[in-house]
Amino acid sequence: MWGFYFNELIRSLPFFLKGLYMTVAVAGLSLVFGTIIGFIAGIIRAGRNKPGRLIVGAWVDLIRGTPFLVQIFVIFFILPGIGIELEAFPAAVIALTNLTASFICEIVASGIIAVPKGQREAATASGLSYYQQLRFIVLPQAIRSILPPLVGQYVLLVKDSSVVSAIGVVDITRVGWLTVQRIPEGLMVFGLVGLLYFAICYPLINLSGFLERRMTVASTKL
Amino acid sequence: MISFKNVNKWYGELHVLNSIDLEVAHGEVVVVCGPSGSGKSTLIRCINRLEPIQQGELIVDGMKVHDKKSNMTKIRAEIGFVFQSFNLYPHMTALENVTIAPIKVRKINKEEAEKLGKETLIRVGLGDRINHHPAQLSGGQQQRVAIARGLGMRPKIMLFDEPTSALDPEMINEVLDVMRDLAKEGMTMMVVTHEMGFAREVASRVVFMDEGKIIEVAPPNDFFTNPQTERGKAFLQSILTH
Repeated sequence: MWGFYFNELIRSLPFFLKGLYMTVAVAGLSLVFGTIIGFIAGIIRAGRNKPGRLIVGAWVDLIRGTPFLVQIFVIFFILPGIGIELEAFPAAVIALTNLTASFICEIVASGIIAVPKGQREAATASGLSYYQQLRFIVLPQAIRSILPPLVGQYVLLVKDSSVVSAIGVVDITRVGWLTVQRIPEGLMVFGLVGLLYFAICYPLINLSGFLERRMTVASTKL
Repeated sequence: MISFKNVNKWYGELHVLNSIDLEVAHGEVVVVCGPSGSGKSTLIRCINRLEPIQQGELIVDGMKVHDKKSNMTKIRAEIGFVFQSFNLYPHMTALENVTIAPIKVRKINKEEAEKLGKETLIRVGLGDRINHHPAQLSGGQQQRVAIARGLGMRPKIMLFDEPTSALDPEMINEVLDVMRDLAKEGMTMMVVTHEMGFAREVASRVVFMDEGKIIEVAPPNDFFTNPQTERGKAFLQSILTH
């Protein structure tokens, strides 16, 4: 029986690859948008505008303090109640972008804050404007402490993307759920699901470790 | 050139600058000394508004520093500032440290800025360290790059906040030599320092501060040989016997 199911699973591989593609699409888009929004939010969070800091801080707390599953349900099931109707795919990307941006915001903000105060003072004394300081002095130094946890966050993003299966996006996890109804070998089916996630995440984990080591070396050299 | 008129500053309850009146003329070298916590660093940090003041008026080269309408970029471009802890940009070479502000603030083109930057680095004796990063330089060399960075904007005034306090003793002189040369060339300077030899030799006047007040202002010879106040005497006693 096991051999039969295994052959069935092999025959379902194209379906799994479609799921893999969907996971990469959802996670990839959220990664790009989440990184852009997260950097902007992080710069505001570490900035000198107090209302801006407070608003971003409240948003971060709200997103970090609620389960992602609930957030995605709010976007997909509750927003239509106030007239915002979304397909599953854009709803998934929006929810995951929002989640990722909030975490990246904190990573970026703490990277900026970790740049010694004297750097800003020296730049101020030479007449550089706030944005010139950020662009030429602060961010190039902050990026060293931002990059390793940022890539680490991408690993979490890929894994968190499995939650979008709950609103019907046919990602790897959803493909697993659908397949296991035909092939009742849970271990085998979800073993494959896990393997596919691992195939995406493992290179990222290595990249994060590599950056961590490189940035440490770079900062001792500098 | 620099004019303090009844300047007052508080940190909460602490009165860090208490009714400061001081005029620094063009080409003068004023050394500010006093015990730690006396407000001497704060005094010079107010001159380019690294610190705000709460009362009084501070005028640099005819411009009001603590007026919201003043163009701070313009004022700061006229003032070079050298910090105790160098504060060089670690991700840039010595030359880039010197040229970033002229390029971005003065909008000088890059080649011109690099030419001037090299000249300035040669002037502080670092012609062979132009492409080194700060971490590849000794403390004394780093502080000389910082002086070159301050000079990079061709300022009218140079401010030094304990420029040699973070240096090993054998590196202090290379930095003081650069400062001596600057003084000889007629640069207007205010220097917070405990280097009394430097003060005696180079200063036009010594300002002695304690508890946020200016206690004495005198030519260095008068101050060192015959301080007029008890606090001045006690301070000199303590730094000469340490």
